[in-house]
Amino acid sequence: MIELDDIFLDSFTGLLDTVSDHGAIRAVEAGGSTAAIWEAVQESGFVDALLPEDDGGAGFDTATVVPLVNAAGERLLPVAFAQTMVARMLAARAGAELGVDGAVTLWPLSEEGTLRSQVAPAAWEAGHALVQQGHQFTVRPLVVGKQRDGFGYIPAELDMGAEPLASFTLDGVDLLDWASAITALLIAGACNKVLAMTIDYLNERKQFGRALSKFQAIQHNCAVMAEHAVIAATAARIGFTADDGNLSTLRVAMARSVTFDAAAQISALAHAGFAAIGITEEYDLQLYVRALKRWQISFGSDSFWARKLGQARIAGTYDTSADFIRDRLAPEPVA
Amino acid sequence: MTSFAKTFRATYLPAEAEAFRAEIKEFLKEWTAKRPPHRRARSWQGFDREFSLALGAKGWLGLTIPKQYGGGDRSFFHRFVLVEELLAAGAPVAAHWIADRQSAPLLLHYGTQEQREKLIPAICRGEAFYCIGMSEPNSGSDLASVRSRAVPDGDGPDGGGWVLNGQKIWTTYAHESDYMIALVRTSGEPDDRQKGLSQILIDLKAPGVTVRPIEDLTGEAHFNEVFFEDVRLPADALIGQEGNGWAQVNAELAFERSGPERIYSSIVLLDIWADFLARRAGANPAAEVALGRLLARMAALREMSVAITGRLVEGESPVLEAALIKELGTTMEQDTPVEIARLIGDDPDEVVDPELLRTLAYVMQVSPAYSLRGGTREILRGMIARGLGLR
Repeated sequence: MIELDDIFLDSFTGLLDTVSDHGAIRAVEAGGSTAAIWEAVQESGFVDALLPEDDGGAGFDTATVVPLVNAAGERLLPVAFAQTMVARMLAARAGAELGVDGAVTLWPLSEEGTLRSQVAPAAWEAGHALVQQGHQFTVRPLVVGKQRDGFGYIPAELDMGAEPLASFTLDGVDLLDWASAITALLIAGACNKVLAMTIDYLNERKQFGRALSKFQAIQHNCAVMAEHAVIAATAARIGFTADDGNLSTLRVAMARSVTFDAAAQISALAHAGFAAIGITEEYDLQLYVRALKRWQISFGSDSFWARKLGQARIAGTYDTSADFIRDRLAPEPVA
Repeated sequence: MTSFAKTFRATYLPAEAEAFRAEIKEFLKEWTAKRPPHRRARSWQGFDREFSLALGAKGWLGLTIPKQYGGGDRSFFHRFVLVEELLAAGAPVAAHWIADRQSAPLLLHYGTQEQREKLIPAICRGEAFYCIGMSEPNSGSDLASVRSRAVPDGDGPDGGGWVLNGQKIWTTYAHESDYMIALVRTSGEPDDRQKGLSQILIDLKAPGVTVRPIEDLTGEAHFNEVFFEDVRLPADALIGQEGNGWAQVNAELAFERSGPERIYSSIVLLDIWADFLARRAGANPAAEVALGRLLARMAALREMSVAITGRLVEGESPVLEAALIKELGTTMEQDTPVEIARLIGDDPDEVVDPELLRTLAYVMQVSPAYSLRGGTREILRGMIARGLGLR
């Protein structure tokens, strides 16, 4: 596997720090345009990271771009960066064009034609979606939903009346896996950020004449946050490893189950550390915890994914769970 | 956090270490067939001298120790595979566990040439079993307050030597071991804390040593009180530098806290439960979810443990990251019996395999110890917090 050079990663995170700071995120949530943000991300060239070199991309494998997707989560990047990367890669694999230069999010449909998620992607993250139903893929325009969802996000809706901009078929690709694996990486990134914010706050804020970080109960909460951040990052990384170009549903399941817990625990403990100020609209913690909670139930929540693992374990003829993990969940070395 | 990401970066067991696995599985078949699950659930608390001798005969003790001392001269990756297979099978590894995991590497690193040649080969043959003397009646987590003391013995047979007085407690398998490596005071006073502590080797058959087993809540005895009354020790009982015991003990911890033993302590129970569920597939969705949740954590932790092994191979000593794994791992190991107990009684009319119930009962009772041994949860959280820049 190619390891992303620190210089590349730093240039990408530097870009995100400029275009996706808290002010920018608030402006987008208030209804502002993401056009300038998308333009900057698009110009960086990273959106073509998974595209083969022959198609003008960088030809990276998924494992290589993990830090980029983490970084997008860490900064709550409000455009479908990772999703567009994947959409472009899949279209290229089918020998097709997406037909749009803008952001494209992922939209797996059930057999009945409904989105396979209780929470729809945000309207601001993309103007189009790569839609999958069975082995049929189409690129369709999105429209802005009329009502904000319970998390305060404006949901996107598929414009079923419009003609698809592109259409192709692919076998053996499950867009739900891809959308979920990206969700896990975004959660891991945001968890990391919330941990860092919490540590900074606790070292500064004083009560009873000393910094909150001097209190043992607070220290232990932070240790638990760090543990969840680390296991979430590891699980999400494995979830996004692709053998032969495809994700493993079971690895994605593992990533989603572990990151669900991490999001829950880290949000709760961050709130415990920030106390009342963390509940306010004015304070930026809310941007992250709202995102984390929304991601928890996007594209299936813990029980949907965990059950897949449990079923696979008992359906297999494994002597031990260690054998099961090694055979089904441990990533293969990438050449 | 960036440093954590680097420590836990993608790491793979090399093919030659993986190739070792089949041989281990083959060897373990007959040993596990003899032991029912509730016995195998003893995991690294299961003591069987004969088994350790057999492992020694295979050349699998002291796997990472150089050949010249009787070791296997293989990598930490090989050792990971061996330990993973031993624990997953519930093999009785307790007899050699401490000697193999900690004492031999310690002697290799800090021992004199003479100590290495004299002591390590017997460990590798499975003929010398060690225990670790750390806690004392008034020194539990606060290890630096140990009061057992070895004073230079002017009358010793070799002109040097030590006289040891004091007491250790909670010493696992002292009653079955040949030697103890103990942390004792050799200079200074208790107020000097970490300064003046040394690691010394004690022959448990030496006059003045009394070992008294302590029965645990399951009615078995794993740990002991050990009393030292004017125990005369030779000059070469000192391991490493006089007064450097604290640093030496801490260097061991990355090995002690990050291995598969922090992930697989409840695996025998998990697997016999999975077998039970397999016979009723689809009948209990909540149980399938719970099983999946535990497996997800186990898989991520295994990946982290492999990564730490990789860093050990590269010569690093990621003590903080090892503490993170241990806390996460023991929590998962402890949640396992809780989840199974929650689900196994969902239908009081259902007949459950008695062996599963017996295994569950055992693990439910002993699992609190998982987050005590090798540094308590609360101590580890303090260490992690300090590593994060709090405090």
